[in-house]
Amino acid sequence: MNPWIAIGALAVVSVGIPVAMMVVSSLLRPSVPEQGKSAVYESGEIPTGTTRIRFNIQYYMVALLFVVFDIETVLIFPWTVIYRPALEGGASMMEVLAPMLVFIGVLVVGLVWAWRQGAVQWVSSPRALEEKTEANQ
Amino acid sequence: MILQTESPLPDVLADLLGLSGFGVAGEFVAALIAAFIVGNVMLAMTGVAGPWAKRKITAKFTDRIAADRIGPAGIGTIPADALRLLSKELIVPEGADRPAWDIAPLIVAGSAMLGFAVIPMGSGIQLADPEVGLAYVFAVASIASLGMVMAGYASNNKYSMLGALRAVAQNLAYEIPLVVTGVSVVLFTGSLRMSEIVAAQQETLISVGGIAIPSWFAIVNPFAFVLFLTANIAEVGRNPFDIPEAPTEIVAGFQTEYSSVYFVLLYLGEFLHIFLGGAITAVLFLGGAAGPGPESIGFLWFVVKIWAFFLLTQWLRSAAPRLRIDQLIEVGWKGMLELSFLNLVLTAVIVGVVA
Repeated sequence: MNPWIAIGALAVVSVGIPVAMMVVSSLLRPSVPEQGKSAVYESGEIPTGTTRIRFNIQYYMVALLFVVFDIETVLIFPWTVIYRPALEGGASMMEVLAPMLVFIGVLVVGLVWAWRQGAVQWVSSPRALEEKTEANQ
Repeated sequence: MILQTESPLPDVLADLLGLSGFGVAGEFVAALIAAFIVGNVMLAMTGVAGPWAKRKITAKFTDRIAADRIGPAGIGTIPADALRLLSKELIVPEGADRPAWDIAPLIVAGSAMLGFAVIPMGSGIQLADPEVGLAYVFAVASIASLGMVMAGYASNNKYSMLGALRAVAQNLAYEIPLVVTGVSVVLFTGSLRMSEIVAAQQETLISVGGIAIPSWFAIVNPFAFVLFLTANIAEVGRNPFDIPEAPTEIVAGFQTEYSSVYFVLLYLGEFLHIFLGGAITAVLFLGGAAGPGPESIGFLWFVVKIWAFFLLTQWLRSAAPRLRIDQLIEVGWKGMLELSFLNLVLTAVIVGVVA
């Protein structure tokens, strides 16, 4: 049997069971709408401002870096599969390992560059830095 | 000793129920029954783990009793809690991004369950055995972070938003060490097929005093095992890497605004994810469903292994302090990433010398 039929069947089941739970719950649960109940939780305070807040640039930097390394990981997959069969088939280690070392080496250079640029260094906000220096004085 | 000579569960069921004569439709029905069995086995485990085992384990660590009201050792808490949570009122936060807010729990729970399709659970319980098994399981497991972002962004809550951002940053930082360490095992096996990865670990490595030690990759390459375990705990978001939820900082992170069945599904997804993490660890490093005794009790060994992983996460929950977000980024990008590539190259050299 084609394995993807079974995986498709599990996809049906893994959506079906949660949906069934939602249906059961909608039959069981009460609905008592009250003013203030649906207010966004902000530790008991009245919510202020919008949720679309400005957030640390770092989240964006690491996401960019991830794209590079994720593609690299995908390209490493086929290499790991053929590595051992190629060696056993008589290829020398130089032939199968060296190209991958070069490939990883190029990316390591990229990582070193990103590291020195501070892409993987958490940036503190000016206010946090200010408070830190005040606390030290 | 090779455990995985049996055909996958749907084939066995198709033969057993006489469905193989009905072409693709018969196959799909058999696959559906098998999928339903596998899905419910995993649901039963999370049912035991979530409302009961988690509380009991934490209670033992903190010298309390916990959950002892209903049934022997409080085991009756499980159906009681299930009913209680399902019958809670669903409170929709103001300004929630509606379709996304409703779909997020489905994605979190569904993606974790979908990962179990290729896991060989022993005793012939394996839904499918495609050639790309390992790549598939990593791919499917990481869909969950999409659900977390949807949940956090659609909730219209600042805590949820921060939780979602943290979840993404964490999953991005630890995905690569996880996968790169995972594929270092493939260097040994030369195959991504789960059954072949398990079969490659059944040979005897060395015999010490008449006891044969199998060549589980945790024994062959303990460095990779520790690295994989750490990245795995970060990937499933458990302590000390539970900063997407961080109850003492951002309430409950991306799931702050969820109640009733939606909360159950998010929680279920997380626990399924822990067990999926345990299952991947077991397959890659602990010989899958192998263990002493006949092959037919393989499933028991598989359960023991994934529960051992669950116990580890709960132990860390009681014992390890949480990392800060800046520490998390530094540990991930400046430590784990380099170590995982070092491990890959070292493993390649070792395989090259041995082969």
